[in-house]
Amino acid sequence: MSHTASIQAKARELLETGAVACVIGYEIGPRGRARPVFVESPEGASRLVWNQACTHNLAAYLPARLRPGKKGEPARPVGVVVKACDSRAINVLLAENQFAREQVHVIGVVCPGILEGAGQRSIPDEASPGEGPLQARCLRCAERTPVVSDTLIGEPFAAPPATLEEDPLDRLSGLGAEERLAYWLEQFDRCLRCYACRQACPMCNCPTCLFERDDSTWLGMGIGLSEKRAFHLGRAYHLAGRCVGCNECERACPMNIPISHLNRMLAREIETAFGYRAGLAPVPGPLVTVLDRGEGRP
Amino acid sequence: MKVLTPSALHAWLNALARDRLLIAPKEEAGVLLYRRVGNADEIAFTGKDPQRPVTPIKQAFFPPTERLLLIERLPADEPGGARRIRLSESLPEGEQILFGVRPCDARGVRVLDAAFLEKEPADPYYQRRREGSTLIGLACPEMGPTCFCKSVGGGPDDASDVDLMLFETENGFAVQPVTEKGRALLEGAELTETEGEPPRSALTDPIPVPDRLAWPPHFQDSFWEQMAERCLSCRLCAYICPTCRCFDVRDEALPAEDGRELYERIRCWDSCAGEPYRRIAGGHNPRAGKGQRLRNRFFCKFHYFPEQYGHQACTGCGRCIDLCPVNIDITEVLSHLVVG
Repeated sequence: MSHTASIQAKARELLETGAVACVIGYEIGPRGRARPVFVESPEGASRLVWNQACTHNLAAYLPARLRPGKKGEPARPVGVVVKACDSRAINVLLAENQFAREQVHVIGVVCPGILEGAGQRSIPDEASPGEGPLQARCLRCAERTPVVSDTLIGEPFAAPPATLEEDPLDRLSGLGAEERLAYWLEQFDRCLRCYACRQACPMCNCPTCLFERDDSTWLGMGIGLSEKRAFHLGRAYHLAGRCVGCNECERACPMNIPISHLNRMLAREIETAFGYRAGLAPVPGPLVTVLDRGEGRP
Repeated sequence: MKVLTPSALHAWLNALARDRLLIAPKEEAGVLLYRRVGNADEIAFTGKDPQRPVTPIKQAFFPPTERLLLIERLPADEPGGARRIRLSESLPEGEQILFGVRPCDARGVRVLDAAFLEKEPADPYYQRRREGSTLIGLACPEMGPTCFCKSVGGGPDDASDVDLMLFETENGFAVQPVTEKGRALLEGAELTETEGEPPRSALTDPIPVPDRLAWPPHFQDSFWEQMAERCLSCRLCAYICPTCRCFDVRDEALPAEDGRELYERIRCWDSCAGEPYRRIAGGHNPRAGKGQRLRNRFFCKFHYFPEQYGHQACTGCGRCIDLCPVNIDITEVLSHLVVG
């Protein structure tokens, strides 16, 4: 059975039995592009697909979807289709108490890697795998199999990460401070402050973003270089120990800002210092937080 | 027709760049953007590919951030003392030449003109920039896969919204002055008289576009909530749109020396897709739902704006289709309204 058929069958079952209120998966839009879809009835399950264009990190939709109702009643469980990278985001969100484990039915798909241009152009379906280069993050991926799942689709395999000819991060971190600053200011200069990076990120789920307060407390409203720099560097720090490297921020960016370099640099530092990679395993709480007594799990 | 050979075009642009501010498509980190150029070599001519810059030309008239006022508290020893403030406006000055403007972007300026200039009082900041600008259009030889300019009243070779139009030909660029301003710009250009007419562009099939009166019955359509489920509520679609013109105004403190107090009143791009856009005093948000916000985006372009100004606020450039991270597709919305 193809992955698409397996996902459809599982979604249908979950919706028929009422185990979940909705399955968040992928569908193919009229232009042949993969995109997120929210299926709420068993009949709708036939819309679900899987192919190498399923690039979006659907875990990003979970915190809002699973937020308690106005009277505090818990939201009904949802099913979600995840790749290995996306599944790590679920572990981080669980550690941060964004929702309860029983509120998600994780449909994990063993992932062969996602193609460049996925989401923005039409890519052949699962039956006839598309040709073309994989995204760099997929070439670096050592997981392939989701680290958390209730239903696993596909045979687990551990593909060693491909050897990338050159990691731009090495070149960048080898530069002096002034050169690095010049490089980043040139990149940030293109930013429009459209917040596509933040909105696509599963970890950026603050109800009010620090950088977007009406009272300009920490950062003004201006779309100028100084504000853009503060936004990007601030966001990177807030993702330290949390970013799972799905690179949706970078894919969503219309201006080709290499946001992932910042996130990966911090992930490297965290791994060196603490031997920790965000979301790889369930942990009781976030890494970069000290909880005082009574501030633990609710 | 009059033609600028490649070398004559180069010389002409170099001369323009020498004495004036020339803004043209330029590649930066793999992204095509309108940028100030110092000479013709910096300009990215996209050849046969009708590739438009990622961001539209609107930023030349309506910059992402603009200071409206400088606000200064008067020193205590001045008459009236520290309880008084001085307001000074900072109106933009100078001329700019915008080269390589695609017809869809130029048509976007028509929408901005209507919103900023048509009704009194005209917006003085926009007006100054607009009056100081000359638009040199560049026809697209063909339409791109996401383009639908022809379906919303424009066209890949439509010269109605520029001062001067260029058409790519075998031996250079055919030149068609549209306004006096455009004609004046050609002074000193080395034009070659050639047989024939400027080439017409290849068209793709039109897409269905609903009449402005077809929209209100769809206001309560469940379609909006369904489509919006995947919407990220980012502002990308508005910021890369040639016609989106919403802004927010705020007073912010400026760093000041010698105990002075300085503030500026700025206006910045805003987008109805963002959650805070419609929030009002007291915290209520009449468009708290993503579906309500997305509905507003499309109603604005095809119903509200036409009701007020008589023409659509979409130029069919296709940027939002190309760039939306989750494939919210404006043509899908239009076809939903036409065929259900």
